[in-house]
Amino acid sequence: MRFTQSFAPALLLLAGVAQAASSWGFDDGTLSVVAKKGGAGVKEKINSKSPLSKPVTLGSTDTLKLILTATDNGKGKRPHQAFVVLKDQDTGLEAPFPLTVKESGKATVQISHKDLPVQFLLATEPLKASIVIGSFGSAKPLDTPVFNIKIETDSAVPPPAYEKPVRYGKKAEIHHIFRADPKSPPAVISIFFALAVVAALPALFISWLLLGANLNHLPKAIGASPVSHATFFGSIVAMEFVFFLYFTNWTLFQVLPVIIVVGAATVLSGSKALGEVQSRRLAGDR
Amino acid sequence: MRSLLSLIVFLFAVSVSAVSTTGNRLLAILDDVADKDNYSKFLGDLASRGFDLTFETPKSESLALFHLGERKYDHVIFFPTKTKGLGPNLTPNILVQFLNANGNVLVTLSSGVAAPNSLVSFLAELDIQLPADRTGLVVDHFNYDTASAADLHDVLLLPTPKTVRSDIKNIFGAAAPADSVIAFPRGVGAALGASELLTPIVRAPRNAYSYNPKEQAQVVDDLFAAGEQLSLVSSFQALNSARLVLLGSAELLQDKWFDEAEVTKVDGKKVKTYNREFAKRISAWTFQELGVLRVNWIEHHLSEEGAVNVSNPKIYRIKNKVSYTISLSEYTYDSWSAFNVPANDAIQLEFSMLSPFHRLALEFDKAHSTKDAAAYSAEFVLPDQHGIFNFKVNYKRPFLSNVEEKNTVSVRHMAHNEWPRSFAISGAWPWISGIGVTVVGWVAFCALWLYSAPPKGKKESKKTQ
Repeated sequence: MRFTQSFAPALLLLAGVAQAASSWGFDDGTLSVVAKKGGAGVKEKINSKSPLSKPVTLGSTDTLKLILTATDNGKGKRPHQAFVVLKDQDTGLEAPFPLTVKESGKATVQISHKDLPVQFLLATEPLKASIVIGSFGSAKPLDTPVFNIKIETDSAVPPPAYEKPVRYGKKAEIHHIFRADPKSPPAVISIFFALAVVAALPALFISWLLLGANLNHLPKAIGASPVSHATFFGSIVAMEFVFFLYFTNWTLFQVLPVIIVVGAATVLSGSKALGEVQSRRLAGDR
Repeated sequence: MRSLLSLIVFLFAVSVSAVSTTGNRLLAILDDVADKDNYSKFLGDLASRGFDLTFETPKSESLALFHLGERKYDHVIFFPTKTKGLGPNLTPNILVQFLNANGNVLVTLSSGVAAPNSLVSFLAELDIQLPADRTGLVVDHFNYDTASAADLHDVLLLPTPKTVRSDIKNIFGAAAPADSVIAFPRGVGAALGASELLTPIVRAPRNAYSYNPKEQAQVVDDLFAAGEQLSLVSSFQALNSARLVLLGSAELLQDKWFDEAEVTKVDGKKVKTYNREFAKRISAWTFQELGVLRVNWIEHHLSEEGAVNVSNPKIYRIKNKVSYTISLSEYTYDSWSAFNVPANDAIQLEFSMLSPFHRLALEFDKAHSTKDAAAYSAEFVLPDQHGIFNFKVNYKRPFLSNVEEKNTVSVRHMAHNEWPRSFAISGAWPWISGIGVTVVGWVAFCALWLYSAPPKGKKESKKTQ
């Protein structure tokens, strides 16, 4: 009894060891890169313990060939799953390539550029290749990184086009770019020219005075026809004032009737006032 | 005592029963109506949420999705059926029509039963590919239930769903306990096309693969799909927000994988399944109980100082400052609540004429939000281009129903009296003073012409000039 008690755990332990020991692996792993136009390719031995330190280069016309023998507990056996999984280290995209496995466990796979998804051809980092071997039953499956592949594309051929599929999500913001506001020259320049223009007025008046301009006939004209002269000159000033109001805040239809009234006053008073001016001319005063 | 308690619980459940936003008439298609006993908990959950279940077999003559051109049911569940086709009442064409008429479909598959041709064609129409010969089985030698599938490895233990992108709300796995798993027994995987309407809910683990158990029993030579390319639970949401979910394993919904079911991971750890809650959420999402958005109101107005504050005017002027507010609610099982935009996502407003001139993120507006409605608003200056514009909110996200709102307004150009006055523009000063000088000069000239006496003694010289 005592014996069985001490023996049973030992048996269990043994069984456990046996089960743990039953695991998938591979032997005789060879990796070769064969160029299409002959030439010496690369040939490397691979094993599941340590991945190759240097990445293997795969050119656009090369073929990568991988040969290995899948083993269960050291003996060659055919697993159900024997894949080489390539992984793009930037995006995490993975593509499995199943190996062709014989009854003995001997498995091969050939990979060239046309087998690879287009994203891999555009990858910047070397692809990480893992070997996955697993099958039904209790044997422990294997998933181990073995080598890295650097994809070399032909520089003469344009790189394949890859367009990311549409996915719903927020889009980049757009802020409308407004047209630039109209700009004025520096105020100093405007003021200078405005003053120059204003200065023309005194210049005009002074030159008139120098030429002998005067208002000496004013009393005579007012005396002859006071109402029409006051109205005529007043209407000319009023017309300018109406234009000033139009400039500041009146609208066109406010202005028009006033212009008609003022204009009529100009015409009616003008005939009398200008008649008086004519009479002065005929009298030889002008 | 216990049955009385369960009766009370049941009555309570019925009294607070939720109803989907699009109706509660649910049709279940089964091979044999007696099969439903396997799914009693799942179907009981559906009934307690207020669905009115009808069971039919594909052979039934009374089976019809439409009656006089109107939908007869709001939702359909397909359980695996052994028949090769589904008869004249469930052709792919009718199923597409059903989606177009806002009906929702939950399709479940099982590796033991070949998928009916009608469903395969229907799914192909949506760009969902099933394995060749309508049969497939997903296995994973790294990650299976050692208790029930020690040898065949066909009961996958999947981690609870996580969102791939940080801007998507986790609808399906949000409430999952830390170390629970979804048991996925004897399921079929699908390969999804590149359409933006398709979203995988659960992808296969990286070492899982699909094979044909009839032809590839010895070794997998021709791979249908493997790893993350294989979608185990897939969703499709049409532009009209009608939903379809393809559940790779119908057995996942069976009572034996619910609640207390325990599975053993490869490392020997026993864990509880998340299947019941997952089934509830999957069906709730499909039947429009989760992730349904509603626009309560939209308001826009002039946001200038001293302007009249009229809501939703038909016309604005270029360069007006305008504010826009939209109010959204989200439905969860039985009630509307305020919709909170997931972190890293944003509701965007486009102000567009043919193409967007502005695309701006709408900010949460607390002043206009209530408990069951969240308001989002933006304030911006209209572009300096006149024409007919749209305020457009096009919020389409995976797992949320589509929101597409368009409000048209005219944008007029500046009226002549809305520009700055000429005296306010420094460049105009010389010209304005020129006018002033001309006016004064003209009046002075008139006075001079009317009233000036000829200068004395210069008469002769002036005439000669």
